[in-house]
Amino acid sequence: MRDTAARYSSLAILSIAFVCGILVRDFRAAAAAEPPRVELNADNIGPRPLEDLTSKSVPRDYAFAWQTMEQALEENRPGLLEAYFTGLAKQDLIQRVNSQIKSGLHTHYEDRGHKLEALFYSPAGDAIQLRDRAQLDVQVLDGGKVIYDEPMTLQYVVIMTPGADRWLVREMQTTTGEKP
Amino acid sequence: MKRGLPILLAALTAVLMVIAWFQSGAIGRREMRSASTPDQAVRLMLSQIQGHNFDAAYARLANKGDVDKNTFVREFNGSYGSLLTIASLESFDVWGLHSTDQEATMRAKLHYSTGVGPLDDIRDLKVERAGDTWKVFWPVDRAAKLPPQVIPVNYLRWDIISRGSGDDWGVQNVDSPQVRILSMNAIQRPDSIVLVGEVVNEDSVPAYVNVGATLLGPNEKELAQESSFDKIAHTLLPRQVSPYRIDFPGMRLDKIKSVRMDAKALLIAASADPVIEVNQQKLENDPLGKKVLSGELTNQSGQIVNIPHVIAAYYDSNGKVIWVSDGYVAQALLPQVPVPFAVDLPPDIAKNVQTYRVVVNHYDTTS
Amino acid sequence: MRTLTTGFALLLAALGASASEIHPPAQATAGTAITIATSGSGSASFYLIGPASASKRQVQAGSDISVDSDQLEHAGRYTAILCASDGCASASFVVNPAAPNRLSFLVHPSRVPVDSPNRISAVAFVFDNFHNLVLQPESVTFSILPKDGKEVSATRNSENGVAWVRLSSARKEGATRLGAAIGHANELRVVQQVAADACNLRIRASRTKRDLLVETDPVRDCSGNSVPDGTVVSFTKVDGAGKTTVDVPIKRGVAKVEMPVEGRARITVASGVVTGNELEVAGAQ
Repeated sequence: MRDTAARYSSLAILSIAFVCGILVRDFRAAAAAEPPRVELNADNIGPRPLEDLTSKSVPRDYAFAWQTMEQALEENRPGLLEAYFTGLAKQDLIQRVNSQIKSGLHTHYEDRGHKLEALFYSPAGDAIQLRDRAQLDVQVLDGGKVIYDEPMTLQYVVIMTPGADRWLVREMQTTTGEKP
Repeated sequence: MKRGLPILLAALTAVLMVIAWFQSGAIGRREMRSASTPDQAVRLMLSQIQGHNFDAAYARLANKGDVDKNTFVREFNGSYGSLLTIASLESFDVWGLHSTDQEATMRAKLHYSTGVGPLDDIRDLKVERAGDTWKVFWPVDRAAKLPPQVIPVNYLRWDIISRGSGDDWGVQNVDSPQVRILSMNAIQRPDSIVLVGEVVNEDSVPAYVNVGATLLGPNEKELAQESSFDKIAHTLLPRQVSPYRIDFPGMRLDKIKSVRMDAKALLIAASADPVIEVNQQKLENDPLGKKVLSGELTNQSGQIVNIPHVIAAYYDSNGKVIWVSDGYVAQALLPQVPVPFAVDLPPDIAKNVQTYRVVVNHYDTTS
Repeated sequence: MRTLTTGFALLLAALGASASEIHPPAQATAGTAITIATSGSGSASFYLIGPASASKRQVQAGSDISVDSDQLEHAGRYTAILCASDGCASASFVVNPAAPNRLSFLVHPSRVPVDSPNRISAVAFVFDNFHNLVLQPESVTFSILPKDGKEVSATRNSENGVAWVRLSSARKEGATRLGAAIGHANELRVVQQVAADACNLRIRASRTKRDLLVETDPVRDCSGNSVPDGTVVSFTKVDGAGKTTVDVPIKRGVAKVEMPVEGRARITVASGVVTGNELEVAGAQ
């Protein structure tokens, strides 16, 4: 009787643990499916004034760019970078993913949001330059082992250019990074 | 049994061949072979032309001595990459205009199927009695011939240098041409809505233009979307104006709230050659009594125009475009050799036409 | 006593084999090799995570690690990680762009009407040889070379890697070359200045052997600039034979056509939406 009770309780505990594991995975997947929060401040933009539609599309597409980048670096899938990156930014990130694959590494981001400041909008409207203050938790994993885990605030200078139906990240360069 | 099966198969084959022979109209052809009436003579000749049996068709002519055989064949087969070179005579209608014991005039309407759609040609043919049979008197070709010569052509040509794959992103292609829709008029026809108007290339570079339209119902709901397809001169040189026409089959104007127009223009390499003169334009009735705009096209350049395409815009007394019609010309345009054309016009529109303008587009069959 | 001494020695040895440390330079320049000092002992894995790279190799903790210049071409934040048996140590450093030597030069539009103020924009993004955006203020030289004119140049300082300038189009039509230069970089673009619509479009007629030659005066816009060759001029003639139209491109500033005339004829001309004068001529006798 005692054995049976012990067996059933172990089974129950294992089942609960299994369900919890699935839920955690699903929540993480759901979190990954949401793009990060991006706020845009265009008070100092020039020389071209920012159009209403552009002021909505730029932060939206930048958020999607970060979402796809984080997923690409976590899952080592360079194809994910096609949608919101172009030019050297895309080239560099693809190179980073490929070298991660070669070294058996992957990078995990917990994205706590971005504050964008618009610096320059070209007169013809074909390029926009932004400064991004990004709050991130960055983990680097070798296989399954975490070799680096730091929260940080990174500052990027970004250039975005218009594509067929969205704005694309063309240049993304970190300037400073400090622990929050 | 051994021999039975082959015999049975042979008999079956023979029966099927006889059935096919009857179904192909062989009986009719045998009757026509005698060409004992003007109608039979013309039909026989045209059916031989339809079957590409040009030797037999040429033999049916009453005036073989005056008609060059190659010229006769080219009238149906086409030449110089004309529309007829990518066409076939699908069917024909023949009826008499008048006849006596010795001669008759027959009208033949030839229906061609071509690479750009159906094409009709009407010919009035004189038929003469020769003993027991009738023979077709073919009109002698009096078209001007093009003698060998050198024609210097120094019209402007535009070439485009585009960015290369290795170029930096700052190296951007030349801007697309600016085009503008000058006018748009929506007309209700018995079974469709037709949008007609004109578009201009306002830029200083050639443009490949297409005009599209979307019909919107209440609440901005999209009801239909069409484009001008070939009812526009696609290649527009700087400051050139083209009519356009967009058809919406099965639509009613009372269901439409508004129309959204869209003119797309691409930069293309182009030549200002050929220049085509449109002469003797007039509104008249064709032999079948239909209202047409007719005239002559003369190629003033040195290169042959394979497939000319005539697009005509018609204006009312206020200068508004009230109709656009188009038609392909079966013959190629040789330099300096005039070629007639005619495009249809609905009779109810024709009575409101004050003036018109013709634009000649062209397509090449030779690369 | 001996046990104590042995125990103490073992403790010292354990303390001596302390957690590994890694000490990269705080900053580096793109394309320049660096050496990263480490402490500790034993075999370790060295990771270098950068904007465009993530490498791993085996090193000896306690030795200096060389990082080649080709691993540091991309400017940005790098993280160096050393993992030994006692755990992982990390440090970050920044790679700054090298000297400016490249430009991405955007000029708009590629065609502009003559004498238009501030219609042309020229924007230059400043990069180093490794395509890193140079954020330090740098001096970019913009130059303009009109078709028949002298070169004019002006310097602008870049801000956050961008320098830009607005220009007015020339008074005369023609191709103008715009340039931007920094370091060894020298980029050129062409802007075509075009005349406006034809103005005072006039035709005159004269007899040839068979036909009537109708030609325009030199076609110019209202500022006197020649309308470009290839612009289409439409001639329309109405006479006894009917209506004749010809679309003729301008050649060497003039459009002309030969047309046969029957009886009295009225000839008109147009280019785009601009119309010209009308001629009444008598046919050939």
